[in-house]
Amino acid sequence: MTLRSDHVAGAAFVLFGIVVFALSGDLPFGNLSSPGAGMMPKLVIGLMILFGLALIANASTSQPFAAIAWDDGSHAMKVVVITAAAAASYQTLGFLLTMSLLVFILLIAIERQPLHYSAAYAIGLTGVAWWVFGKALKAPLETGILGF
Amino acid sequence: MGTTLDSLLLGFSVALQPAVLWYAFLGCLVGTLVGVLPGIGPLAGISILLPITFGLNATNAIVMLAGIYYGSQYGGSTTSILLRIPGEASSVMTCIDGNAMARKGRAGAALCIAAVGSFIAGTFGVIMLTLIAPPLATIALKFGPPEYTALLALGLIFLAYMSTSSLTRTLLMASLGLLLGCIGIDPLSGHFRYSFDIPELGDGIGIVPVAVGLFGLGEILSTPSHQVKGEVIRPKLRELWPNREEWRQSAMPIARGTVLGFLIGIIPGSAHIISSFLSYAVEKKVSKHPEEFGHGAVAGVAGPESANNAASTGAFVPMLALGIPTGPVTAVLIAALLVHGVPPGPSLVNDHPNVFWGFVASMYVGNLVLLAMNLPLVGLFVNLLRIPYAYLYPLIIMFCVIGVYEVNHSIVDVWIMLIMGVVGYALKKFGFDPAPLVLGLVIAPIFEMSLRQSLIMSDGNWLIFLQRPIALTLMIVCGVLLALSVKSMFSQRDWREKMAAETKE
Repeated sequence: MTLRSDHVAGAAFVLFGIVVFALSGDLPFGNLSSPGAGMMPKLVIGLMILFGLALIANASTSQPFAAIAWDDGSHAMKVVVITAAAAASYQTLGFLLTMSLLVFILLIAIERQPLHYSAAYAIGLTGVAWWVFGKALKAPLETGILGF
Repeated sequence: MGTTLDSLLLGFSVALQPAVLWYAFLGCLVGTLVGVLPGIGPLAGISILLPITFGLNATNAIVMLAGIYYGSQYGGSTTSILLRIPGEASSVMTCIDGNAMARKGRAGAALCIAAVGSFIAGTFGVIMLTLIAPPLATIALKFGPPEYTALLALGLIFLAYMSTSSLTRTLLMASLGLLLGCIGIDPLSGHFRYSFDIPELGDGIGIVPVAVGLFGLGEILSTPSHQVKGEVIRPKLRELWPNREEWRQSAMPIARGTVLGFLIGIIPGSAHIISSFLSYAVEKKVSKHPEEFGHGAVAGVAGPESANNAASTGAFVPMLALGIPTGPVTAVLIAALLVHGVPPGPSLVNDHPNVFWGFVASMYVGNLVLLAMNLPLVGLFVNLLRIPYAYLYPLIIMFCVIGVYEVNHSIVDVWIMLIMGVVGYALKKFGFDPAPLVLGLVIAPIFEMSLRQSLIMSDGNWLIFLQRPIALTLMIVCGVLLALSVKSMFSQRDWREKMAAETKE
């Protein structure tokens, strides 16, 4: 039997539903005249598992799992890692430093753009964003431990 | 009618104030840019820019955000016609014949027909909104928890029936959204649900990080810059005016697309996308020369462009009159109104007439602004399309982070956005449409509250949904739609497949 994309997707939803159901143990379901905090989540989990099983049952019409193209996976992973690093350092380094580094590293590490172009673009762009959001729109931007 | 006219005059007295005009113009301009640039849809655009409106009053904020929404429908056509890349999903059909017209040297005419069609459709939509929303809101004032439960259930079932993906997939996405909407403190019992001792999760998951992650970051993750290539066709200004024959060929498609789009717009689902597909299929079916479709048929541009604009305006009817989102964009707009302390719904017309009528009147103005702005500035938008995507997406990521963080000044929201970006990427790989997830997330608290209140009211008797006339009617419609949905699951080809086949042929 060919493993199809809907087999994998359906199984993932069923598994996710089971895990969330296990995490919902302490939430009271209540009864119909006095529904508890767990009623809605448990009903929804039940539906999710049901639809996940339906997806698996009708999976034969979906494309083979092996046919899904993952050639953009490395791009996606690099973007996620760089953005996660920016999120982790945002409150420490502040807006100007974090955003300049975020744009600069995206351009250098992923797009292989020339160093000086990338640096100028990153600094210029962050400066404009800082002025628009921080000064013109008066949105309080993070200053970080360096004070800017 | 007289009352409506008086109220509309009040609306114009608000909408024509310089500050409101300025924000309408700004929203239309930003919306056009959002629509023109591939990779930022209206939802991501509105979500990212939501924090900017926090310093504004409710009227200015909603006028600007709505301008972004319908402006993006205008802007999307420019990219489709000149680059053959849909600036946003509802412009997919315009790519086919719009770009074919451009390659025949009729780019200007295609842009003009798209803009005029959008203007007519948008204006018709606003007139209908003016007439329908207030009486609908009066009826909705009679709604209690059972009616709201039935209405929201109907919304979800409509969404599943009308969605561009299969019934099972749509319901799975809606379930996931409803589950995410259950995170946080239970408002009736005070129980913490799935908050894992993270204080920020006590308030639940916000719609902005989820929407920006799924639609903004998710799109960027699945679009490496080397895949974004396209030759931009630059139209000459003197070629912008269509000839007599092109006007003649576009008149009826614009009329049909307008009515069709508005009717689909008020129904939950990805209305602006579905309406453009459906309009294209209708135009091809009624055309005396269906063989011209795909090779630069004027009707293939006029119909879908009018339909998607009318649908965006139609979506405001249930949003404003009932407080119910028909799609993720209206869900974010509802969130924006709530941030400003203005709950949308039946009481909006009476409690905040300045906001309601000012907003409606600003849409008349906004449509004029868009028509006046889009054609003369087409050269500017063409130049924007020449910015390499490699330099564009770091800017979008930066805006995503700023936009999400600034809503609550919470880094947890940025992490949620990142997780949702990865989820959005995975969903795209497996062919899921994330729009129902966002809709489920938004309606989850209202749905749960009204369901539990209904059960408490009836002492646990489920029949309460069948004992009240409005709830019963809504439940009957639910049943009919469910039966049709189940029937389409077992039939050889459901309406989506038929429509896809007709547009492909």
